[in-house]
Amino acid sequence: MGIALAAGKYLSWGVLSMSVTNACIIALMVLVFVLALLIPFPSGNDRHRTDPPPPPERPAP
Amino acid sequence: MTTTLRPEDRTWTAALKDRLSRALPPDQILPDRQPAYVTSWIYVFGVVTLAALVVVVASGCVLAAGGSIWWHTSSLGHFTNSVHLWSVEVFFFAMVVHLWGKFWMAAWRGHRGLTWLTGVVAFVASIGTAFTGYLSQANFDSQWISGEAKDGINSIGVGAWFNVLNGSQMLTWHIVLLPLAVGVIVVLHVLMVRRHGVVPPIGDEDREASR
Amino acid sequence: MTDALIRQRERTPDSHDYPTRRYDLVKEFTWALAMVTVLSLLLAAVFSSPDDKAITLSGWAKADPTDVVATAAGELAGTTTSATYGAPYNHASEGQSVLGMKLQKWGGVGIPVDSADLVLQPLRGVPGDPTLAMALQQWDTLTPTQQTADATAYADAVAKATGGQLGGISPSGRYGPVPVLAIRFLDLARAGGLEGSLTSSGSFYGGDQTRTMLLLADGAYLEDQAVADHLGGDQWGMMNEVGNYPGQPWMWLYTFWYQVKPFSTSENADTQVWALMMVLTVGLALVPWIPGVRDIPRWIPVHRLIWRDHYRRAGKA
Repeated sequence: MGIALAAGKYLSWGVLSMSVTNACIIALMVLVFVLALLIPFPSGNDRHRTDPPPPPERPAP
Repeated sequence: MTTTLRPEDRTWTAALKDRLSRALPPDQILPDRQPAYVTSWIYVFGVVTLAALVVVVASGCVLAAGGSIWWHTSSLGHFTNSVHLWSVEVFFFAMVVHLWGKFWMAAWRGHRGLTWLTGVVAFVASIGTAFTGYLSQANFDSQWISGEAKDGINSIGVGAWFNVLNGSQMLTWHIVLLPLAVGVIVVLHVLMVRRHGVVPPIGDEDREASR
Repeated sequence: MTDALIRQRERTPDSHDYPTRRYDLVKEFTWALAMVTVLSLLLAAVFSSPDDKAITLSGWAKADPTDVVATAAGELAGTTTSATYGAPYNHASEGQSVLGMKLQKWGGVGIPVDSADLVLQPLRGVPGDPTLAMALQQWDTLTPTQQTADATAYADAVAKATGGQLGGISPSGRYGPVPVLAIRFLDLARAGGLEGSLTSSGSFYGGDQTRTMLLLADGAYLEDQAVADHLGGDQWGMMNEVGNYPGQPWMWLYTFWYQVKPFSTSENADTQVWALMMVLTVGLALVPWIPGVRDIPRWIPVHRLIWRDHYRRAGKA
């Protein structure tokens, strides 16, 4: 029967209310975002680095 | 190679081909080099979003193969539904982190405003697709969500045409119309990224391109 | 906006004028696809997904019979939510509006639903019940005013009945045929005879649950279950899912407005929130063109983290 199963766990603070699961997801998003900014990106490809072609010669003004 | 025919002799095909080749030269569609400033993990979230979309669609196809009520009666079907749900969560997770990254990079600079705009449209279309998905579950969630959502949609006068209480309509929107729309928008978005290249760093405007 | 900013904006260098690194686009996508696939399979295996069974009309009748009877009486009295809704179901109300625009009414009555028929139509299909047939005949001979009066009086009596004991309600004389209709409706629901009856309406294949859902939503039972699951409109319900399953965190802003004034006490909350969210969404799409907002990334230099390698190298050059 459609008797409701027990509601999940919720965090409440004033008008704010969020499920623990959703709060974890959002917290994880912020954490992943910050880590993505901070964790160094491997730059081992620098030995394959090439400079772009020189810009075309501009006529003298 | 551009044709040299007189304008009145040019075929529609040739005109389209020329236009597309100018907009997207072949070596820009699948480049094997990238600007040296692309050195941050924040850049992976676009491709992760795209990969998640592929998993969403693939799991959706498996659900479609079984039919709309298969997942209620089959444990493999239920597992497929779970993969579909969690890949959607990964999809939105990655998309929003991608959005945050692009905002802080002001990635719309250098004539990339349309890239940003198509990204937002893709976001909104994805929310709509997810919404019709919830309505298509044929369980208590669908009952409650449709009952509530109808009030929002009726209040703006479109409820007779987009009837969220009509499960058969919501299902076909979810598996045909909206995925097609999302697909087209995503393709346009990715092609625009390929056409304009990855946005250069903020602050480089005051000098010639770095060497 | 300063001239310097204008010049900066117009001179974003071409990304092709930079030094490049080797990079494998296809390999990156393949890695991403593999990782997301594994992640999705793992999450699915560990956490699964919810599937709370739909509330059947029979289940509703068994779990809360008083609510079914009250709803049936309300439909006949024309006092339920659906009966007083307005567009797209009927003309009973002007509906919601925002900034003077009566959007709900402008949509028109595109899905006409007679709420009394949600009760009467299934009952008319019941064969071999002379008492019911007589009650239906009696109902049809009443004037609309008499129908409303009888049904409203019975609905009030049901609401007052102690402990939901319908048997304690005074003899049916004061309520006309309504008690017979309402109780027969309950019996029909309990026996499973209502399932599909409002969906099919003469057609073999269902698919459109509009009328069944309107009936169910007119009762209190559906909402009671939802509120118990923390899915109610003033519980940030749009973001939530049953149990501890992940919901829709991306709906946070849409549902936020419903929690605060003026929307939380407004009769036009739905149109108002929709209009507000439309404006904000268009605003998000047009960020590149909104002065001030588009400059936030320059003022708060998160980008110095993203491109620190580049800035360091450029500083050395």
